[in-house]
Amino acid sequence: MSSPEIWKFAPAYELPSWPFVAPPDLASAEPIRYPVVIAGGGLAGLTLACDLALRGIRAVVLDDDDTVGVRGASSRGICYAQKSLEIFERLGIYERIRAKGITWSVGRTLSGDDEIYSFNLQDESCSEQPPFINLQQFYLEWYLVERILELCATDLRWKSRVLRVDNDDGHALVEVETPAGRYVLEADWFIDATGASSSIREQMGIESHPSRSTDRWCITDVRFKKPLPVERWTWIDAPFNEGRAVWQHFMADNVWRLDYQMDERADPQAISRPEVAGERLRAQLGPGVEFEFVWIGPYQYRDHLLETFRVGRVVFVGDSAHVVCPFGARGGNNGIQDAANLGWKLALVLRGEAGVDLVDSYHAERHPAAAENLRVTTRTTRFLAPRNAAERRIRTALVSLARRHEFARRLANTGRMAQANAYPPSRWLPEGGRSVQNVAVDGATLMRGLGESTRFVGFWVGAGAPEAAALGSALAGRFPLEIRAIEASTLLARHLGVASGSMALVRPDAYLAATIERPDAATVAEAMRRALSLEVAA
Amino acid sequence: MKTEPNIPDGDGFYEAWLDAHEGLDEKESGELDARLVLLLANQIGDQQVLLDCIAAARAARDPPASSS
Repeated sequence: MSSPEIWKFAPAYELPSWPFVAPPDLASAEPIRYPVVIAGGGLAGLTLACDLALRGIRAVVLDDDDTVGVRGASSRGICYAQKSLEIFERLGIYERIRAKGITWSVGRTLSGDDEIYSFNLQDESCSEQPPFINLQQFYLEWYLVERILELCATDLRWKSRVLRVDNDDGHALVEVETPAGRYVLEADWFIDATGASSSIREQMGIESHPSRSTDRWCITDVRFKKPLPVERWTWIDAPFNEGRAVWQHFMADNVWRLDYQMDERADPQAISRPEVAGERLRAQLGPGVEFEFVWIGPYQYRDHLLETFRVGRVVFVGDSAHVVCPFGARGGNNGIQDAANLGWKLALVLRGEAGVDLVDSYHAERHPAAAENLRVTTRTTRFLAPRNAAERRIRTALVSLARRHEFARRLANTGRMAQANAYPPSRWLPEGGRSVQNVAVDGATLMRGLGESTRFVGFWVGAGAPEAAALGSALAGRFPLEIRAIEASTLLARHLGVASGSMALVRPDAYLAATIERPDAATVAEAMRRALSLEVAA
Repeated sequence: MKTEPNIPDGDGFYEAWLDAHEGLDEKESGELDARLVLLLANQIGDQQVLLDCIAAARAARDPPASSS
């Protein structure tokens, strides 16, 4: 008999904390009015605050904690998608993420010991950013806080919990609790970014239509020296996990995320005990591989979707608005992308350069995106956790065909990785909108150009520079817009898919707003008025 | 979705399909049919036709509506 194993734990992460500072509101007789107040210092809230800071809008951020991460170093999200990375490039933290995180683009799906499907997301990319970088969520939040502090344009208020929010006439009234007492403030726009269990949503009486899965999983974040490929590996039915699914992903600090599907009747306490988690790891890694635990966390996923993302002056972003199962990295990434969709709209509305209705386009674009993510991820969960004998039989049939035939491979659904969702046609986007990747342009990149100020850029393909400058000055002062000539042979022109002589109107969030076939002062002005909810001039 | 006869040798197809199930237990037969559906679906390759076929197969559980 071999001696029992000793299970080692890595020392806990030391996360930063920031001090509570008594705000002026506590000493003010009347509520102070702010343009934007964000509740929740997670990915969505911090991305929005940072985005607004760069656009010259001072936001107040209220966070009930004084650090990053969720209850210590338990990592939640790990996979950050290209569109999110492009946003972070614009916000100025991409290099830190790249240096610390793990860049990957290849995913493999296995059944038993055999690969049945693989993909390389780099094949569809022309961006300066890779398809994905893996990084523990708290690092990302940490970098965002440091960037926000560096920009000195945001009022970060720690240990500040929102008790109550009410819509009033053209603003929201917000009651806040702090270690030094309570106060009330007024917000032109109040953003609920407090996450899946938002008490603000509950207090406002907004139905979230939740549902909960019975599928049970257990994350084991672990450090070991056995070299494994830096790829996303998913087993549909792993021989080392009693024929259930397993995920294998690499992230910063040499930590592997191994996520095991468990028997749905299993006791979460029992399956997350170190000796039980250790046996699973030993079965996967084989004998003789030393490892140490970083974190063990059992979970069941849930989902919800609000009917409307805007109620008066209150706007819901990230998990407070929508939650999906984790397969495909469509949670945190969509909170980040919600924030990037909303930031420029709030900035232009507050500056009086767009109609107040522009904020409704946030719902018109991000609600369908969330609904699509819910549909896509629910399909994945039905593949991973067949609900009955028929669903299991169909999956078995698919897997056996996938071992022989190409067509069946791509039906094996262990998660469809997050992409920048396309937006449906609307009064702001007559042809719908699609994301423009961060391609190199004129010695810089699209995102770096868009980061300079809050404006649209009209890329006039095949036009001469003087022609573009003349049209730019004809429209100067009327719209936040820059006109630039680009050659038809450039990567950007080809990626935009716009014919020579036409103009691609790109929004501040790098979505294509419109294609203008015969650009002149009248046609471009009409497109801008539509995109910004501005009244048509008489 | 085609509903008029379209299989050149219908009886031959039916026989070959039955033969394929020979010697299989109920579970194996179910999996065979599921594999067959997947292979045929890829031959058809038309989303609307596939969805119409699924709906028609499901609807055939019920007695046909009387044509009055």
